[in-house]
Amino acid sequence: MFLQSKFFIAFISRLFGSGAKKDLETQIDRKGESLEIKNLSSSIATGEPVVTMKGIIIRFGEVTANNNVNFELRKGEIHALLGENGAGKTTLMSILYGLYQPQAGEIIVKGHKTSMKSPNDAMTLGIAMVHQHSLLTPPHSVTENIIVGLKESRGLFLNISTAEKKIIQLSEKYGLKIDPKAIVGDLAVGEQQRVEIIKALYRDVDILILDEPTSMLTPQEEKALFSTLQSMVRQGLSIIFITHKLHEVMEVSNRVTILRGGMVVGTVNTSETNETELARMMVGRPVIENIAHKGSSNNPVVLHLKNVSALNNANVMFLKELSLELRKSEILGIAGVDGNGQAELAEVIAGLRKVQKGEIIMDGKPITTLSPRKIRELGLAYVPQDRLETGLILEYSIAENLILDRWYFEKYSGRVFLKNNEIKNFAKKAVSEFEIKTPGINVPVNSLSGGNLQKVLMARELARNPKVLVVHNPTRGLDIGATHYIHEQLIKQRDAGVGVLMISLDLDEILTVADRIAVIYEGKIMAVMDAKDADVDHIGLLMGGKPSAVYSKKNEEEQNK
Amino acid sequence: MSLVTTLSQIPKKMRDVRTYVPFASASLAFVVGAAILASTDIDVGRAYTIMFRGAFGSIFGIADVLVKTISLVLTGLAVSVAFKCRQWNIGAEGQLLMGALGGTLVGISLVGAVPGLAIFLVLLLSFAFGSLFALVPAILKVKFGVNEVISTVLLNFVAILFISFLLHGPLKAPGFNPYSPAISDASEMPIILPGTRLHAGIFVAVAATVGVYYLWKTKIGFEIKSVGANINAARYAGMSITKSTLVTFVISGGLAGLAGGLLVSGVQHFLIEGISPGYGFIAVIIALLGRQHPIGVAVVAFFFSVLMTGSETMYRSLSIPTAFATTLQALVLVFVLVGQLFIIWLNKRQTRRLDLKEKWLAK
Repeated sequence: MFLQSKFFIAFISRLFGSGAKKDLETQIDRKGESLEIKNLSSSIATGEPVVTMKGIIIRFGEVTANNNVNFELRKGEIHALLGENGAGKTTLMSILYGLYQPQAGEIIVKGHKTSMKSPNDAMTLGIAMVHQHSLLTPPHSVTENIIVGLKESRGLFLNISTAEKKIIQLSEKYGLKIDPKAIVGDLAVGEQQRVEIIKALYRDVDILILDEPTSMLTPQEEKALFSTLQSMVRQGLSIIFITHKLHEVMEVSNRVTILRGGMVVGTVNTSETNETELARMMVGRPVIENIAHKGSSNNPVVLHLKNVSALNNANVMFLKELSLELRKSEILGIAGVDGNGQAELAEVIAGLRKVQKGEIIMDGKPITTLSPRKIRELGLAYVPQDRLETGLILEYSIAENLILDRWYFEKYSGRVFLKNNEIKNFAKKAVSEFEIKTPGINVPVNSLSGGNLQKVLMARELARNPKVLVVHNPTRGLDIGATHYIHEQLIKQRDAGVGVLMISLDLDEILTVADRIAVIYEGKIMAVMDAKDADVDHIGLLMGGKPSAVYSKKNEEEQNK
Repeated sequence: MSLVTTLSQIPKKMRDVRTYVPFASASLAFVVGAAILASTDIDVGRAYTIMFRGAFGSIFGIADVLVKTISLVLTGLAVSVAFKCRQWNIGAEGQLLMGALGGTLVGISLVGAVPGLAIFLVLLLSFAFGSLFALVPAILKVKFGVNEVISTVLLNFVAILFISFLLHGPLKAPGFNPYSPAISDASEMPIILPGTRLHAGIFVAVAATVGVYYLWKTKIGFEIKSVGANINAARYAGMSITKSTLVTFVISGGLAGLAGGLLVSGVQHFLIEGISPGYGFIAVIIALLGRQHPIGVAVVAFFFSVLMTGSETMYRSLSIPTAFATTLQALVLVFVLVGQLFIIWLNKRQTRRLDLKEKWLAK
């Protein structure tokens, strides 16, 4: 008990120094005005290199993930690693973390040439990595996940309660709300990531790799995290920050290395560059897409949820009298932090989750108690978020997946047998129409890339000529090309008169594509607004559960100033 | 023509070691079986010779092999259909017995009927009895979420003991033994190879094999197979899990019931206790080894039938207990499964070698 609290104090003072703690709190209070943070970052003097990677080459089969990559991290800097999906950022960092062994090249950590065989080796050298996808063990508690592998947990008995206290203190310090007793498998993706960050903070590391840590956070939480990172580097930690978001690079980093197609495009000082230049280096073309938002508030309602309540998988009431109106010819974006009822909302509409209370009306007909098949027949198309586990059957061919929802249609089957020729024609048409890259319509879809999988799913759902289209995280894990393609398809559907409900964790995506935006928080819709009038700070507050009143008060105060 | 060019003309699949692993595994099972035999005073060479002579040495042997194959194919298909839908029906033995009961009841009462019609009714009733008995675990699962592995295993004993009760009571023919009365002549499956036991039931087995092959090309088959492949995706796409489960058990139980009906109508001609030497249990192994493919099931069923028939001859000639056949079957299962692990290991080694090659090229 005594030892561990001593350890904790040592840990905290190591992180923040004596005066830094207060400094951190004030920064969080200020909600990290970006201007001040920029000043902070430019004032940090960067020291000697702590990590040098030279001529790194790694191939996976045909794909060269890293081609002759050079990378250098200096002491006390935040170094952003910028690139599109598939540019090789995560691969490069996985090499540094000992997860992959490169086929060529050398790694020098703190002046010593090293070869890391496992994350344990990396940890010994003081390197920790927080992954984009959770690497925790679901059946175990938060505390167990955090202390696993530590020396203090290697005795015969685990001192869980001390560890729990430490975790609570850490989580309060960083505003990373977490229940140490919770079972990781029950947590939402966003919460699991918080556990990962605390797990890294819990260990005595001085080089921290963060793989897209903000993807699940609200803007406020994001800014608080950035302030935390700033004080950490001031105490001598060095941080590598993997991201594809330009504003994050500008806001938090000292230097930035840009990767494209597995190669380094360049390393620049953040203060000497701007977003446009970075974007050009990242994709080789300007990326700012500008899609005209449409006013849709007066269109007729095609999907109406009235006070709908539903349970989640753990039998907890997760949708709480949620009401929502989706109109014809609009894209309604549902913004929110992961685990606030998004999945339950989508499943309730699709008839996959029982409605406990309330009513759902689609195109004038009540669908509350209908089967998924009946609801689909009445005009619903649904692209679920887990395309691998729900949307598609991986060992099935493209053709089989395309008829998964319509195998019984007269067009595709007789009284007894399926009509193979009709199915083949349908598949061929879909493959050419949606530009699905595949060696043939009979190959199992598990051999396709993520973008092409999503195209198969979209092809099937859109071929229904739906009245209502529900899409959940439609572009998660896709590269820019595929993302753009999916967005175009959604807009095409909107223009054809379909009501599109787009549930997404990617706020940028919602701001770009949606005509109206609704914010979901703890199973309720906090507010609905036109995208034209949307204000990121406002949405951020709503995503964090702060009602609009707080925002208008804040606005008033600012105006009074 | 040199040896190398000759080899390269053989299709790639034929040159791949992995193609031969299952056969090599099965052979290894016989080697271990030989070791077991050698540990007693038995001449191993003679034992195996007698075993294969018993199965293939005479027309009677071959007929016997085929008769057993009928039962094994039907029960193997029954289990395969269930497994394809991820319904772990371990109750084929019980369903077979109930099918046998159904066939017997019709067979006894149809005296003087037209032969074709009588046989058709026997088959129909044995299918129906098997189906209805399989519906018990199916409904328990659909309505109350009862695990079908447990319910189907336990219902086997219900069926065995129920038959036993009937044969000692209501259904007992006059006399000392617990036998049912014989079925009518019209209900007996005709013998297609005079002088042997081979009956027309083999056509039923062939038809069932073809039927299951085409089942997966039908509407309901697609639904069942999708539910088995990914229950979430099937539900999401609008398929009915309840319907698929019920239909699967009806088909599965029906096929097992047919096997029972054919045992009565084609072989025994009356119902006795232990009419099946555990065909419904061996069927689980057959479905696993045959990878739930009808052709695979038919091939494995034939192979297992050879083992069973051969071991009976071994028992008669050399007094080697028939338990040895069961041991051999278990050994085959174990070795084939280990063979699968070996194939996985081969695949891994192949990718590792490619990696090394890449690494070498990168330098």
